[in-house]
Amino acid sequence: MIASAPAIETIGLGRDYGRTRALDALDLTVDRGTLVGILGPNGAGKTTAMLLLATLLRPSRGRAIIFGRDSVGERAAVRRHLGLVFQEASIDGLLTVEENLRFAAGLMGLGGPVAQRAVAATLERMGLVAKASQPARQLSGGWRRLTDIARATVHAPDLLILDEPTVGLDPEHRDRIWTLLDTERRDRGTTILFSTHYLTEAESCDRVILLAHGRVVAADTPPALMGAIGSEVVEIEGAGAEDAARALQAVSTECLTVKTDRGYRIGITGAHGDLARTVGATPRITRFAIRPVTLEDVYFAKTGGTEGRPTDAATFTGKTG
Amino acid sequence: MSAASTVRAIVVRDLSRAARQRSRLLGGLVRPFMWLLLVGTGYNAIAHVEGAVSYRAYVFPGMVVMASLFGAMLTAISTVYDREFGMLRLMLASPAGVPTILAGRALAATFVGALQGAVVLLCLPLVASVTPGQGIGACAALMLSAATSSVLGLLVAAPLRSVENFAGVINIVLFPLLFLSGALYPTGRMPAALGVLARINPVSYMVDLMRHALGQPTEFGITVSLTVLLATTVVAFMLTTVIFDPEQRFTARQQTARS
Repeated sequence: MIASAPAIETIGLGRDYGRTRALDALDLTVDRGTLVGILGPNGAGKTTAMLLLATLLRPSRGRAIIFGRDSVGERAAVRRHLGLVFQEASIDGLLTVEENLRFAAGLMGLGGPVAQRAVAATLERMGLVAKASQPARQLSGGWRRLTDIARATVHAPDLLILDEPTVGLDPEHRDRIWTLLDTERRDRGTTILFSTHYLTEAESCDRVILLAHGRVVAADTPPALMGAIGSEVVEIEGAGAEDAARALQAVSTECLTVKTDRGYRIGITGAHGDLARTVGATPRITRFAIRPVTLEDVYFAKTGGTEGRPTDAATFTGKTG
Repeated sequence: MSAASTVRAIVVRDLSRAARQRSRLLGGLVRPFMWLLLVGTGYNAIAHVEGAVSYRAYVFPGMVVMASLFGAMLTAISTVYDREFGMLRLMLASPAGVPTILAGRALAATFVGALQGAVVLLCLPLVASVTPGQGIGACAALMLSAATSSVLGLLVAAPLRSVENFAGVINIVLFPLLFLSGALYPTGRMPAALGVLARINPVSYMVDLMRHALGQPTEFGITVSLTVLLATTVVAFMLTTVIFDPEQRFTARQQTARS
């Protein structure tokens, strides 16, 4: 590991599957010890980006440097620093929790007493001691995922790459997983890169990267991304939403107007005294609300919202502000 | 050290899995015993092979090889399951690299095949007399046969995309390999075309080596059998490392997701 190098540096990193361009050109720098979220609709290139960084796919173009080492030329050295959690848990149901960890430790080159100590410490840290001798196939989805994360961290990786680590889990397990990941980061300085569709999970990130159609469409801190939308968001729904949105544009300091399947989201800044009256005067409005900006607003604005909708059709109907 | 730990982890995992899949283990043992008891006993009365004490004794080395062939090849082919259910990507993310991962799988499959063959071999005194020297020779022949079978299993598994092909492999690959091996009848009495196939079939040399170890009449001789089996193992392993595509599952999944 080169001491001064960032955790991840990619230069024009891209990958094609046949004639399909899955990831166009990813330029990215991730500092050590940071928490970085990758967001984007299905098919945006998130998993491809993560597999490239995990050295499991070879790039079609560009390169990735992990802790100062090339992900293709120095693949073995890079892998020693990585802990990977895939979309589906990589746990052998016929083995016990402890055996799964021992297997993972062995794959990462740990053997003998070193592996034993690493497994025991991981079981303790992840709260899995009581489940250690239980066959993994008997675990619930939440415990399987915890075991999977324990498996990925048994060799104390410097970089954890997690592809939708909390998908399908109940809030309790999601909370437990994020607490454990925070502890990994705080205690060991582990850099964490993850993808998610739960946008609230990304709000605590140091940096968020939004992908759409294989391209980075936004990358910044969550406050900066949300600030670009406005200070608040007006939601208007109903058949008359478009008329109301036009009327609003005339009376407010609008940052961004986003059309969604149900109506409009309009980012505004400053006071909004007349907004309710303006929208209220428009017929056929079923819902009107003013609320703080969330990452979901950024997501809809930058990615085009639903799967398959082209980014520019999207959604940008005006950008003053 | 790193590669050795990786190989060891794969072997321990595969052996633990094999021990916990008792029905599969039993099924692998029932097959040769069924042949030995039903086919061997039936043909014992009507078939006579020159130089052999009885047909049952003659067919016994073939059944030992059959047990190890099926055990080792099916364990190696289960790599397809691991690819399908995500465990293989975990192994492929190891710093040890693809050849080490494949070596671990091959070694694990060799142990499973050899253990299954050894259970059948232990019953040899029931059908023929055996000296300690012959027993040791048979164990060595069994290990080599299991090693070759495991690497052939990996070679078969390398291009397979899904577990749906798995059952077909048994009918299309394993049974022809067995029937064309001289396990059940001498290859010299086969029609010319089948005789050629038998001679390019590595299982023929496994059976012949086992016959040699157990003091039965052989067709190829020990040097030829050893050379063929060692060469097959090395070449098949090298070929597997070349055709094995570590990206196969990811690219297939991503292409499917985008189509």
